This record gives sequence, C-alpha cells and structure tokens, in this order.
Amino acid sequence: MDAPVVDVRALRKVYRVTERETGLAATLRSFVRRRYREVLAVDGITFHIDPGEVVGFLGPNGAGKTTTLKMLSGLLYPTGGEATVLGHVPWRREGSFLRGMTLLMGNRSQLVWDIPAADSFLVLKEIYAVPEAQYKRTLDELTELLELQPLLHKPVRGLSLGERMKVEFAAGLLHSPGVAFLDEPTLGLDISMQGRIRRFVAEYNQRSGATILLTSHYMDDVVALCRRVIVIHRGVLLYDGGLADLAARMAPYKRITVTLRASVGDLSSFGEVISNNENVVTIHVPRTQAADRTARLVRELGDQLADISVEDPPIEEVIDKVFASERPLAEATA
Amino acid sequence: MIRVYRQLLVAQIQAAAQYRIQAVLWMLFSIIRPVIFLAAWTAVANAQGGSVGGYTTSDFAAYYIALTIVGHLNTAWNSFEFEFEVRQGRLSPKLLRPLHPLHYSVVENLIWKVTTFLPLMLVCLVIALTFQVKWNAEWWHLALFVPSMILAAALNFMIGWVTATATFWLQRINTVNTLLQRTSFIFAGQIAPLSLMPTALQVISYSLPFAYALAIPAEILRGGVTLERGLLYLVGQAVWLALAVVAFRFAWRAGLREYSAVGA
Repeated sequence: MDAPVVDVRALRKVYRVTERETGLAATLRSFVRRRYREVLAVDGITFHIDPGEVVGFLGPNGAGKTTTLKMLSGLLYPTGGEATVLGHVPWRREGSFLRGMTLLMGNRSQLVWDIPAADSFLVLKEIYAVPEAQYKRTLDELTELLELQPLLHKPVRGLSLGERMKVEFAAGLLHSPGVAFLDEPTLGLDISMQGRIRRFVAEYNQRSGATILLTSHYMDDVVALCRRVIVIHRGVLLYDGGLADLAARMAPYKRITVTLRASVGDLSSFGEVISNNENVVTIHVPRTQAADRTARLVRELGDQLADISVEDPPIEEVIDKVFASERPLAEATA
Repeated sequence: MIRVYRQLLVAQIQAAAQYRIQAVLWMLFSIIRPVIFLAAWTAVANAQGGSVGGYTTSDFAAYYIALTIVGHLNTAWNSFEFEFEVRQGRLSPKLLRPLHPLHYSVVENLIWKVTTFLPLMLVCLVIALTFQVKWNAEWWHLALFVPSMILAAALNFMIGWVTATATFWLQRINTVNTLLQRTSFIFAGQIAPLSLMPTALQVISYSLPFAYALAIPAEILRGGVTLERGLLYLVGQAVWLALAVVAFRFAWRAGLREYSAVGA
C-alpha cells in the first residue's frame, strides 16, 4: 500500500475576527477598545487520501472546505493539528511541495489579464522549471483535452468565463502536479461547460494519476467524478466513505416514480407518497422492499401505468440529510 | 532564476506596453514636486543676492535635477500594490508558486523605470537649460553614484516591502504609507538639501534611512560630497539595506502566519 498523498490529522483552524455592534456609540467605543471573537472554521478533522484518488469534499457554505484546502495548499497556517501533502508540511511552503501541487479556485484568476494565456504559460514554465520537452508535451495534451487552441493567443481579459476557466485549468496543471485541489471548479459555468470540465478532470486523473480533492456545490460534479466523499459541516467531519454508501445510510429508501394514464386514487398503500402532480406520483419505499413494491405497482395498476422508474434519491437530498444530522455518521471508511 | 526573470520581463513589457500613457503621466507627476521646490529656492536665492547657505541658483538646479533622477530610479510602489493584492485576493495565486512574490515587483519596477527614463531625461534637460544648471561632479562622483543609486533603489524597495507586510496585521496600510511618505518628505532632502536644514533635523535625517535612499545619492550625483564622505555614505546605505532585508525576512515569515487569504 502506498503512503497517503494527503494525510490530515486533527487539523484545526480558528480565525480571530473583530466584533462590533452597530450604531455610532459602539463604533466610537471600538476605536478605543476592540472586541474579538474566535471563529472555529475547522475543528480537528482527520482523513487521508491515497495516490490517484478523486475525492469529493462536501459541505454547505461556511463548512470549512475552502479553509481546509487553503491549509493543505500552504496558504494558511493551522491553529492546531498536522498535515502532510506529498510528504511535505504544506505551510512550510517548500519549493518541492509547491512544484508538486496546484490549487485551482473557480472564482479566482492566476493569469496576467493583459497578455495572452500563452505568454503567461511561458512564465509559469520557467517558474516551475518545467523542461522544454515536458512543457510541450503537457501543453499539447492540455490543448487537446480542453480545446484551447483558439484561446491561447487572446488576452485573458477578452475571454469569457468558461474560456478563462479552461485556460486557468491549463495554467494550474502545466507543471503536472501530483496533487490538485479544485475549489468549485465549475462555479458560474453553463451546463455544457460544466460537463466539459468534468470530463477533463476525469480524463486528466486517468492519464496523469494525479490525486484530486474537489469541492463543488454542483452534485453532478461529485457524482461524475468521485467515488468517495468527505462531508464536513461547521468544521466537523460528518462522513468519509463511498458516495453510494452515503446514499444507502442516509436515505434508506428508494424513489419510485410512477406515470399514470389517468388518476387512480390513493397510492399510499405502496409507500410514502411524496408528490402527486398531473398523474406523476413519487413514492418512497424501503430499499429492501423496492423490488416487491415495484412488482406490486406494475401488477395492480395494469393498463393504467404508462411508465415507472426506481432510483436512489437525489444526492442533494442525501447530503441535506447529512447536514441536518450534524453528527458524524461513522468512522472513516475510506 | 535568470530564465525566470527573462520570461517575466517579456510578459511585463507586453502588459506595460498597453499602459504607456499612464506610465509617462506617473513619471511627469513625480517631477512636479522637485520642480516646485527648485523654483521656490531659486526665488529665495535671487532675493538674497544669488545664494543661500552656499547654494547658488545653479547648485539648486543641479540638486533638484539630481533629486528628480534619483527619485525616479528609487521609486517603489509595492506597499500600495501589496495591500491591493491582499484585499483583492491576488496574493494567494502568487504564494502558491515556487517564486517569492517580491520577484514580480522587481520586474514591474524595472520595466517602469526603464520605459520612462528617456522621457524623464528630456524633461530634466529642459529644466537644466531653463535654470542654467552648474554640474560639479567629477568622474569619481559618477563612479560612486552607480553603486549608491543601486543601493538607494534597493533600500527604498525593501522599505516598501517591510511596510507592505504590515498588511498581514492591519489589512489597510494607507495611513502607514502616508506616514512614511510624509516622514520621507521632511527627512529625505525633498524640502531642501540636508546641509541647509537646522542641525537637529540634519541629525535626525542622517539617523533615518530615508535620506540614504534619496538625498545622499542626489548629492553624490551633483558632485556635492568629498570622496571620503561619499564612501562613508555608501557604507551607511549598505547597513540600512541589510537591516531592511533582515526586517523584511522576519516580518514576512511572521506575517504569513497571520495571513487569512481573504477573497481567495
């Protein structure tokens, strides 16, 4: 078994923020005496990621995802705990660590706006000391995967959001990092571009074997890319394990959607009716009885049945349930 | 590192080429203050029979032209830029790379100085002809000026970076920058050549780093110092630069621990 690429133990981060009441008197008082408040952003999380894994890092806004990624990429010093990435302590910011990883943030640009991306790439090539042959090979590969050719020689400020995200990806991966932290990489992109970025990340992971830790509010990103997810909420790790297991544990039911030719009355004898809109009825049934109930529905509804499907509940619903539980589901299983 | 600098230079020249007018305007703006003081001191000297404290109108012209050239070559705006970068979240991408953010500033700084130096010299030529400048510099003054100017530029640059690190704690450092600018205005020889200032102010001026970054190389360039004093000034500049570098390294390390990577 290879050593984990990302190894996090009891990692903790507390921000100290100034606190001020509203109003003139409070504002004037704050000039003389400031009040501080401690905000616990990450509360002793522990996990590890093996080489080549693609892991989804999930949590609502303010859960501590980005703070964790910033600590793992060396931008932030933790308040407590330990972490190694590629065998390095990230916040020591050693050159060999920085050359081995990348942090891509969907809402931030790392390219010079006034010059074409191709020129920024040349700067990055020298900064990361990428050998000429490797640079050419990587750039060709990224150009092909991301369809960059028409974008390389336009000033970055002239690119659309989706185009810019593609060149940002290329810029972040030119040095072939062994670890990529992707923070909301599809934020603000249209459906088609989200899909292309997803396909790219999957293919990049397969081709390069890079380890990827990904945060996203789009569950489609997670479903398409990650077999394993880590869920945190209010800085606490709630779940670490398979995405499929998460659904089974948090939502021990299946969703049967029945489309009827005409209204047939109450279907609650088959399970919990969640919705009934224009002859499309959604029913939740226990997982273990999903097959039996489906067969009963087909048998008893007969010609009235136009269509029927059996699915896991949407992952958004599952994740909501995890956040609502606010307690760790199980020991790390990954 | 040479290859990194070469590529950064190419990229920065491309970026700077799009803002040529702005660059020249900034350069012209930096000339206004010394020209105002030159005009004022010329008026005072003329009113007092042609000189003040041994400075003739031609000497004042030489001093303020030298001050303008040094002021241009030692310009450093990195503390203003740094605060902006931190607040806008632009520092983080730089911190993620295996190159200290200071190097980007070095290149930007060099590009601006090189691209605006020729128009600056043309303006200085016009001022020299207008005020009938008298240059007293010997060849060794020029030989001393080169290392003195390099040390002055490096010192001002590092003072800027030490100031910039205050952003890690204070978030906004406009007032710190303004305070330093005002202090430099008084003690760096901008109001008057240091030798014309009251003794107490001279003592303070030579005890602070600001004159070593401005007035001293200007005096060397105009030929206003002896060889011994010039060499002594170089030592003073080197000591201040070493102190600034040590202070920066210390403040940078401590500051990164405070960095909250806001906006990024």
